[in-house]
Amino acid sequence: MLIEYYPINTQLHKLDVRTKLFGFLAITIIAFIFLSPVINFFLVLISLLMLIWAKAPIKRLNLVIKPLIPIFIIMLVITGFTYSPSAFESEFNRNILFYLLPDMGAPFTVGGFQLGLTLVMRILTMVLASSVITFTTQIEDILQLFKKMKMPYQLAFVITTGIRFIPTMQKKAEMIQEAQITRGAEIGTGGMIKRIKSFIPILIPMIVNSLRMSDNLAVAMLNRGFGAMKTSTDLEEIKMTTKDYVISIIIMIILVSAIWARNKNVGVL
Amino acid sequence: MNNRPELERGSVFGDVEKFRYADSTADTLTNIKINIKKGEIIGVMGRTGSGKTSLLMLLNGLIPHFYEGEFKGNVISNTMNTQRYRVQTLSRFIGMVLQDAETQIFSLTVDKDVAFGPSNLAFDRDKIRNAVTFSLEAVGLKGYESRMTTGLSGGEKQRVAIAGVLAMEPEILVLDEPTSELDPKGKLEIYELLNKLRQKRDVTIIISGHDSEEMLHYVDRLMVMENGKIVWEGKPEKLFTDITLTKNLGICPPEITEIGKLLSNGDKETLYLTVSECVADLTKKLKLSSTPIDNKATNYNSNSPIIIETNNLCYSYDKKSSVLKNINIKIHMGEFVALIGKNGAGKTTFSKHLNGLLRPTNGKIFINGRDAFNINTAELSKTVGYVFQNPDHQIFAASVKEEIEYGLKAYGFDEEEREKRVKNVLRFVGMENYEERHPFSLGKGERQKLAVSSILAMTPQILVIDEPTTGQDWEGALKMMSLLKELHAKGHTIITITHNMRLAADYADRVIVFADGQVVLDDAPANIFKQTDILNKYFITPPQSVLVAQNLKPFGIMDNLLTVNELVENIKSKLN
Repeated sequence: MLIEYYPINTQLHKLDVRTKLFGFLAITIIAFIFLSPVINFFLVLISLLMLIWAKAPIKRLNLVIKPLIPIFIIMLVITGFTYSPSAFESEFNRNILFYLLPDMGAPFTVGGFQLGLTLVMRILTMVLASSVITFTTQIEDILQLFKKMKMPYQLAFVITTGIRFIPTMQKKAEMIQEAQITRGAEIGTGGMIKRIKSFIPILIPMIVNSLRMSDNLAVAMLNRGFGAMKTSTDLEEIKMTTKDYVISIIIMIILVSAIWARNKNVGVL
Repeated sequence: MNNRPELERGSVFGDVEKFRYADSTADTLTNIKINIKKGEIIGVMGRTGSGKTSLLMLLNGLIPHFYEGEFKGNVISNTMNTQRYRVQTLSRFIGMVLQDAETQIFSLTVDKDVAFGPSNLAFDRDKIRNAVTFSLEAVGLKGYESRMTTGLSGGEKQRVAIAGVLAMEPEILVLDEPTSELDPKGKLEIYELLNKLRQKRDVTIIISGHDSEEMLHYVDRLMVMENGKIVWEGKPEKLFTDITLTKNLGICPPEITEIGKLLSNGDKETLYLTVSECVADLTKKLKLSSTPIDNKATNYNSNSPIIIETNNLCYSYDKKSSVLKNINIKIHMGEFVALIGKNGAGKTTFSKHLNGLLRPTNGKIFINGRDAFNINTAELSKTVGYVFQNPDHQIFAASVKEEIEYGLKAYGFDEEEREKRVKNVLRFVGMENYEERHPFSLGKGERQKLAVSSILAMTPQILVIDEPTTGQDWEGALKMMSLLKELHAKGHTIITITHNMRLAADYADRVIVFADGQVVLDDAPANIFKQTDILNKYFITPPQSVLVAQNLKPFGIMDNLLTVNELVENIKSKLN
């Protein structure tokens, strides 16, 4: 997962799960209705500030963001070339930075580049904003919300349990790799193809291991009375406080004004 | 069983003619009769694969509900016929703790995880909170409530798993080899805990495992399984005084009963159950010696060349805490070294430096005189073979042959040479004609051997083996150790990590004790194990025969004896 829950007591940790999910929804909508990279940049900034406010280990984000960098670059390049100047409303965005091919072939537009930036920022916003939720919210609270909404809570449990085992599986993968290194394998070196190839032998023991683990997990769930009763007790009731209502109303106002502004053609390219 | 068993809560009655797993061709359990009274502690022993786990799974209905198959018979646990109730429903009364703690933990924090069971049973909130507090206190994890489960040690995880089941307030508690991954101190704590539970709550307890010494002390009755049958049932002291029978059943007799048995002459049986009983009895029989001798074992062979040398080796994962502090060790060619110490003392971290899986953050390590810092693991592995603790993490090929060939291919041996080496190594470990078998169709002991073979094929000079006997039964452990002994005789330098003090005493010629990331003792085993005070401080208990010899030193018994036979011979010579 992005950044997993850690029990500390910041204001964000104390907010109700519903408020946080509403906030996440709002920021997602805003990110997707505006094409302007400037507005999207502010969304990235807001999400980042919230993470810092929640005292999250920001450095851990590197693990998620680093592998995305090549994708970001590809996105910038592709959008720059694919949009012809006529696709943009403003004169500035119709400007052409350079041509890839001679005789004015394959123009790279300012607007396309900006659009690429927006797409990149949207992804960053999603990553950061969802990290805020995962870092400050207990899985139990999300499950409880599912139950309250009469959604399939068992399914949600299975998914969250799966998430809980990702670090365990990572550890196993590391152990298998170590075993292969000690037998002369050179993992993580050489060209792309060689690197990918060296990961294939890890898959077999990983699959065997996870099959065995899922069997054990099922037994362990039965042993702990999962599904014994029609209902189950939640240790702490999720509760909307005055603060939650106030913040939700503020989010609502921001969201409505953002949609209004978009209708007035703010933030288009 | 009588026509109508007296049904009482907390009791188990079972009469199972047979059970066969759906995908199996042979019966897993046959003719099982169970009669367990409320408040009893029952130990289940026997070889790996004898059906212990299956027997336990009868008790809460996992067989035949979850593991389906041909089932004939009835089991009545806590007055409920297991066939008529779901496992979830039975779990309210019959708690079960499995071997692998990792897959029994569902939540991120300890308190939430312990609360998972009672929440599912829809206990009310206050009751759940009390149950969580009680269970964590019972397993000795008070104050761990808001700790993250991912950061716990193996022993702590095992205790959280037990607490999670305890919180459901079961009448019957079933534990499947809960101690197999624990160090001796962790082991003892689990048995102590069970004893307390029985006393305080009158819980019926059924526990399986290979811990003879603890079983002798803590269980009321033993059931021994063989080939899916209960072949012996009775008081543990009765089994363990019959040394031949015990060994025939594949069980390691506690040293103390073996000593008693060997000292018996003719019709007069001596029965010792504890070290102090044995010492008290022999104190009466032996005469005080005028000159107790302080026997020092000759030191390990230090004439041969040094092949591993560490120089103030330090290791830390982050800046705050260091895992290894200033390790200075010289290992000579041809030594058989055992690294001991409790879980988390730094043994594995240290051994991973030997083939470069870890690099010292400070200090140096020399292999064959070369600074190992700049040599990569693939290169170092030619000299230092490393066998990991769990064979399942190092087996990845689809056949035994492919598995062994993996390393040989990586080092560029041609096909003819590879064939030859595979054959040789399989012959050596006693697994001829296994070439085409799938590794996961092998038993645990064989998989462990395969893991060793895949390293051996590359003929490394030094072999590092992390806990080769963990999770194996006694016979498996002995086979593994004699394999190491043979390799040692062939000239390999052996470095092994172990929690089994008897094996360390019997096989190694040098023992290094790790504690809190430091080497605290480093000497011949006889010299190590006599320092009981220091060992106590690091939660290491010497083998029972060593303790007896220590206590009988004033009577002229030599205090550098390591095995039961040596001790008995010495005592006999003084008795005459």
